[in-house]
Amino acid sequence: MKGVGLILVMGGWVIAVGGLVASEAMIVRLGAGLAGLATSFAGIYTLNGAHLENALWKSRGH
Amino acid sequence: MLKQRRSLAVARDTVAALAVLGLVAVAAPARAADEAAAEAPAVALTAADLKGISTPSADDLAKGDPGGTLTGTAADIVMADPKAGLTIADIANQVGQNRIAVNFVWTLVAGFLVMFMQAGFALVETGLCRAKNANHTMMMNFMVYGFGLFAYWVMGFAIQQGGSAGISNLGGMNPLNNEFKLPLFGKDWGLFGTKGFFLSGDTYDVGVMVLFLFQMVFMDTATTIVTGAAAERWKFAAFAMSTFFLGAITYPLFGNWAWGGGWLSQLGANFKLGHGYCDFAGSGVVHSVGGLTALGVAMIIGPRIGKFNRDGSPNAIPGHDITMVLLGCFILAFGWFGFNPGSTLGASGNGSLRIGSIAVNTMLAGCTGSFGAILYMWIRFGKPDASMSGNGLLAGLVAITAPSGFVNSVGSVIIGFSAGVLVCLSVEFLERVMKVDDPVGATSVHGTCGLWGVLCVGLFADGTSNYGGSWNGVDGSVTGLFYGDPGQFVAQLIGVCTLAGVIFTLSYVLNALVDFFVGQRVTADAELEGLDLPEMGALGYPEFQLVTPGRSVEIGG
Repeated sequence: MKGVGLILVMGGWVIAVGGLVASEAMIVRLGAGLAGLATSFAGIYTLNGAHLENALWKSRGH
Repeated sequence: MLKQRRSLAVARDTVAALAVLGLVAVAAPARAADEAAAEAPAVALTAADLKGISTPSADDLAKGDPGGTLTGTAADIVMADPKAGLTIADIANQVGQNRIAVNFVWTLVAGFLVMFMQAGFALVETGLCRAKNANHTMMMNFMVYGFGLFAYWVMGFAIQQGGSAGISNLGGMNPLNNEFKLPLFGKDWGLFGTKGFFLSGDTYDVGVMVLFLFQMVFMDTATTIVTGAAAERWKFAAFAMSTFFLGAITYPLFGNWAWGGGWLSQLGANFKLGHGYCDFAGSGVVHSVGGLTALGVAMIIGPRIGKFNRDGSPNAIPGHDITMVLLGCFILAFGWFGFNPGSTLGASGNGSLRIGSIAVNTMLAGCTGSFGAILYMWIRFGKPDASMSGNGLLAGLVAITAPSGFVNSVGSVIIGFSAGVLVCLSVEFLERVMKVDDPVGATSVHGTCGLWGVLCVGLFADGTSNYGGSWNGVDGSVTGLFYGDPGQFVAQLIGVCTLAGVIFTLSYVLNALVDFFVGQRVTADAELEGLDLPEMGALGYPEFQLVTPGRSVEIGG
């Protein structure tokens, strides 16, 4: 899951820059930027979830 | 007496007129002006010109000058050839050098203020940690200065500023003239600089040294953010390695893209997005980079023992000295007057007189940030929380850092207040939803509010700033969405995506490598005992009896 998370994080940037290169329409670039940011945040959330899977406090409540 | 005053007035007018003449004759960027003036034939002042210039006599000066009217006259202008007398070239050279001298001093003093922010960070972070970790936390904040500086001197500065020639406020920065660019999609994408490793070769230059000092203390601010998020459980050796990577690679890369002529700064010139990514003093470059790295390290290192219960509910772990925390916040707010106004890199020329507006914006946003946070906490929990008030102050300052040079006072109040509320929401989200343990709230203060500050440039920039007529190679003033330029907001959004996508990933991977090779976290026993003895070999408070859950340590007595 860590790999998936990292791919999503980087993928968000690719989407944002891809929109920049693909179109000169401001609305397209804005949409791509927002979608890219949401994707990156989802990736960070996924990555964090992977770290939490084996969190000590879950099993031992330390 | 009256005659003397008239004579002095005439002298002042004459000198001013000659200075203007000299400047017009040799109008060009500062360094070119100096060279041109040096090469041009010296034009001696005529007898009529000299007749109007009078200087105080030695007898007058010997009586002292309590009013300051006799000190600093034409007699103080440095002449290239005293035998030939005062020339227009002498005056033009003096004016040019004075401008650069003012800018050097301004930038250096601002850098000294930013350096002092390290003390503020040290107090805030140590105060928010438990007494048993005081030595360790303070030492991380102390040594981050040295580790970061070394890394930045070796390679960080070259990567960041190695291709940033053209900073006329500091004399041109001509030795920093090589940026590695990748041609893609018909555009040049500047990726990193290649001049200035070890500050050697051509970069042994007075202007480059000023820029290095100023940029170095900014980098150190970013690195010290991480120590707060990983406090009370970070292995000191891992901290040293992580700091080196941040100072040598991660921070300089984004610094280049934003400030060193890299691809983000060229979004305006290459893709018609406003003035490209604009980050006046570093909400993104400094604070978001530090905050996102802090998040990555906090995720890798995991929460402190006792932070979360088995059901995931968080426990409060109060710091040991709130007075230390608030004193640190004051020191940081003071240092921020170097951070933001200093980022003009000058007080003379190219619109640098906006420093007054930038300082006021900084002051307003910090105050409204603490106001927003205290109001939120008071309404939500019934008490005005002291530590969150401090974090609110810092949140407002972080958020105004990028827009400070482009917005008006109303904009700065809105930005600061919103950041104060945002930092409280972010702290709760990270703790309750993501289960990330950040003892000082570094990720929320610097990461969340840093990203917000970057976006605020694209919203609130009012189009009145004029730093030499252009910014990032695009003519005109930086103007945000609310003042008519949606392209600027998109440029800022691309910057935020780059921070969240590329910089976070890079930081995470580098710190995962550190974790793999040396381990990021101390042992559970060391953590329970407190890191002062296991990691540093000495307690921060040796005469205290430190009581920790399940055990007690008594030293000194």
